[in-house]
Amino acid sequence: MPDKRNTLVNTALLGLLVLATIISLATGTVQVSLFDTLRALAGHADPMTDFVINELRLSRVNAGLLSGAALAMAGCLMQTLARNRLATPGIIGIDNAATAFAVASVVGVGLSLAPSAMALAGAAAATAIAFGLAGANGTRGYRFIVAGIGIGAIAGAVTQVMLSRVAIDAANAAYPWTVGSLNARSGQSVLVLGIGLAAGYLVLMSLSRALNTLQFTDAVAIALGTRLKATRIIGLGLSVMLTGLAVSVCGPVGLIALLAPELARALCRPGKVPLTAAALAGASFMLVADLLGRTLFAPLEIPVGIITAIVGSPYLLWILLRPSPRSLT
Amino acid sequence: MLNALSPTSVVASRAFFPPLLAAGFLLLLVVLASLLYGAGPVSASDAMAALMANGTEEAWFVVTELRLPRTIIALITGLALGLAGALLQSMTRNPLAEPGLLGVSAGSGFAVALAILLGATTATLTTLSAQLGALAGCALVIAATRVQGLGNDPVRLVLAGATMTGLLLALTSMLMLMDQRAADEIRFWITGSVAGKPLSMLWATLPSITLALVLIAIVARPLAAMALGEKAAVGLGHHPGRIRFLITFTVALLVGSATALAGPLIFVGLVVPFIARAFSGPDIRKTLWLCVPVGPAVVLGADVLSRLIAAPAEMPLGVVTALIGAPVLLAIVRAGRMPSL
Amino acid sequence: MSQSQTATLAADDITLAHRQFIVAANLSLHLPTAQVTAIVGPNGCGKSTLLNGLARIHAPKRGSVLLDGKDIHRLPSKEVARKLALLPQDNTAPEGLTVADLVRFGRQPHQGWMAQWSKEDQRAFDQAIQAADVAGLADRALDTLSGGQRQRAWIAMSVAQQTPLLLLDEPTSALDLGHQIEVFELIRALSGQGKTIAMVVHDLASACRYADHMVAMKNGTIIEEGAPAEIVSPELVQELYGVSCDLIHDPATGSPLLVNVRRNP
Repeated sequence: MPDKRNTLVNTALLGLLVLATIISLATGTVQVSLFDTLRALAGHADPMTDFVINELRLSRVNAGLLSGAALAMAGCLMQTLARNRLATPGIIGIDNAATAFAVASVVGVGLSLAPSAMALAGAAAATAIAFGLAGANGTRGYRFIVAGIGIGAIAGAVTQVMLSRVAIDAANAAYPWTVGSLNARSGQSVLVLGIGLAAGYLVLMSLSRALNTLQFTDAVAIALGTRLKATRIIGLGLSVMLTGLAVSVCGPVGLIALLAPELARALCRPGKVPLTAAALAGASFMLVADLLGRTLFAPLEIPVGIITAIVGSPYLLWILLRPSPRSLT
Repeated sequence: MLNALSPTSVVASRAFFPPLLAAGFLLLLVVLASLLYGAGPVSASDAMAALMANGTEEAWFVVTELRLPRTIIALITGLALGLAGALLQSMTRNPLAEPGLLGVSAGSGFAVALAILLGATTATLTTLSAQLGALAGCALVIAATRVQGLGNDPVRLVLAGATMTGLLLALTSMLMLMDQRAADEIRFWITGSVAGKPLSMLWATLPSITLALVLIAIVARPLAAMALGEKAAVGLGHHPGRIRFLITFTVALLVGSATALAGPLIFVGLVVPFIARAFSGPDIRKTLWLCVPVGPAVVLGADVLSRLIAAPAEMPLGVVTALIGAPVLLAIVRAGRMPSL
Repeated sequence: MSQSQTATLAADDITLAHRQFIVAANLSLHLPTAQVTAIVGPNGCGKSTLLNGLARIHAPKRGSVLLDGKDIHRLPSKEVARKLALLPQDNTAPEGLTVADLVRFGRQPHQGWMAQWSKEDQRAFDQAIQAADVAGLADRALDTLSGGQRQRAWIAMSVAQQTPLLLLDEPTSALDLGHQIEVFELIRALSGQGKTIAMVVHDLASACRYADHMVAMKNGTIIEEGAPAEIVSPELVQELYGVSCDLIHDPATGSPLLVNVRRNP
């Protein structure tokens, strides 16, 4: 059954994303007109413009787009699995753990694996610990989340330890990861992220019916024929993978995983897990935040992680401090 | 049967002095370790000789001029943060209410960064702005606990605090990006560390700390009664509104001073009362007494560790306290049932 | 029971309000000395608000509460606490607090700023735990006690205050029948030793049984006041709760008993 409202929302969000992409490409130290930007993308621009757009800016925009989409999808997925809209990878410490591991690979503490692989390992470890600590209490309620805050704090401290122990050059190379920035991206990590995102998206689409039933209680989901355990494990695995890969590109950019699914849920028809809309919104958020960071105090560049924290935190505070919150689960 | 219980056995409290003495003894050991190990080319045995008044002049200089000020600053910081945590937890009845976790320290750090950016240079001015920032942070926390339903939901409050901290840290980073020259000085103030802080900063904070201690002596008894519920406290002749105001002010003085001395250190205000409560039981007055040796011992101990772990380099103190404190947070949250205060 | 003085408590034409919403208007009340007064009425009639008003928790919008003829809000709170003890309904205690710890709090109004535990305090403490029969429980933590024992411990704290007046807000709510009797008999005993007591009681039958004086409230006004045997009637029950009933007298105690309570025909 085609769903008009969701199709409309997805189309609108896609349009927004295209617009954000083009403006991101056009904006910078050298201002390029939107028309010239499009020509450059089509391969019909003068060599100078072609170089600025396709060589300098396209890889950054690509990285932002993919990591924003991956973070948002991971957030949406984890919220659904935990039945808690605050249970996003950033809040439960997965970002920080992935960062700690990625930094370890950059500053060369023992291992010389690629940041992507290390970030994945970190994300997996943090998730295992968070869910392990939640234990019998399950993922409901805030306790789980405070456990995540503790894990995040430990991981952040470990990152600091590593940075304080290495030569200043290595520390500088790893620094963008600690605040969340699109500066440190490596082509290889972006490529891995792109592949992971595409594969993850396909798997999730095939799982979407099962995920939708997870919005009810376990008993209802089982009654509706969902293979609960398998869906959970696959969903959690994908969420960890997407987060780890995104962090290996952009560092712990907070709150996109919270904000984008919130927006998607508000726009889409209730009853379905809005993965596509969340991904599109997340990609747009990331690009716009990065654009703001580059332009607000140009030539000074504010890391995108700082922008998302400043924009997103008040919203999160509002969710938390409202006198009678909507059901948070 | 009633007569079998003598009045003294009835009021005999749980053993309180042994842990107090033990903590005091531990504190002495930590102080000694702090003087023996650390910056400067002086070995532990040379430093020991210097303390016994028959060491070299160099050793004497290193111990008294380099290590002693740092030790004192760590002690005062620990005292302030431990007491502040115990007060805030008792007043909000939330075992997780820790100035660092709730964003009070971050508010204080942000105020310092702002003041430096605007041109504040003296220790007194920065201390004052740290305290104003802490006061604003405290007032926000108290306001938040008065929000319907939030007061009795410890964990939600902590999450709000963590969010607030994230926001303030982001704003502080932005200030630092805007002015590279101020950034170095800001970093010196807001990095959790007691290394290289001049004693002048100690003098700048001492009046506030003294005032805070006097205030604690005044509010301790009414605060204990507040644990029985607000109406019961009124029934015993106390004024909850006044007590809340005084505590807020006291916590702001303490946290502001600690931040001025050592930067925002999270988790100290969680760990110290947690340890103290384990020995003191539910009475806040005993908890506060135990915080007096435990707080300094924890911060100074963490500082000694920070020198030893990464020697010859040093690790920021804030990192060590986070590594010690986060597991305590997990332990409290993990407990089958949140302990009520 | 050492109680150096007696005290009177009265409400003089008070109006109590939550913000703009007036809960009780123009109430006047005088607590009879050395008697138990029960305040009864349907849910939301303002009985707890009245008790909180009498206990200076809730300041009246108009009129004044008089303690020994003086406006209670003009007296230092500590001085009031030496004459009037309160057992609120929503009391809490930190985990692990022992009965002895709790009862010791009752001495706070009598202690100076830095004063230590005195002989006088110890005497009051001993009397209080004897009176409330919690001496055997002194070293037990409150959270390990039964509901009735816990309530007796709280009453012991109020007794340690050595006040001539004691106010209790629904002291037996959430207690089972046995524990209710345990608490009510303690209240009677305290009254027998000369305390003036006022309590909000949910259950009309208990109020009839244990109170000397009854104040019946509805919609924020006192509609009837007097000895239970004199004022409790099928008409009063009808007016308070909107139900019909018959009235007999307890053959053992003579106090009024409601029977055959039913919805209106």
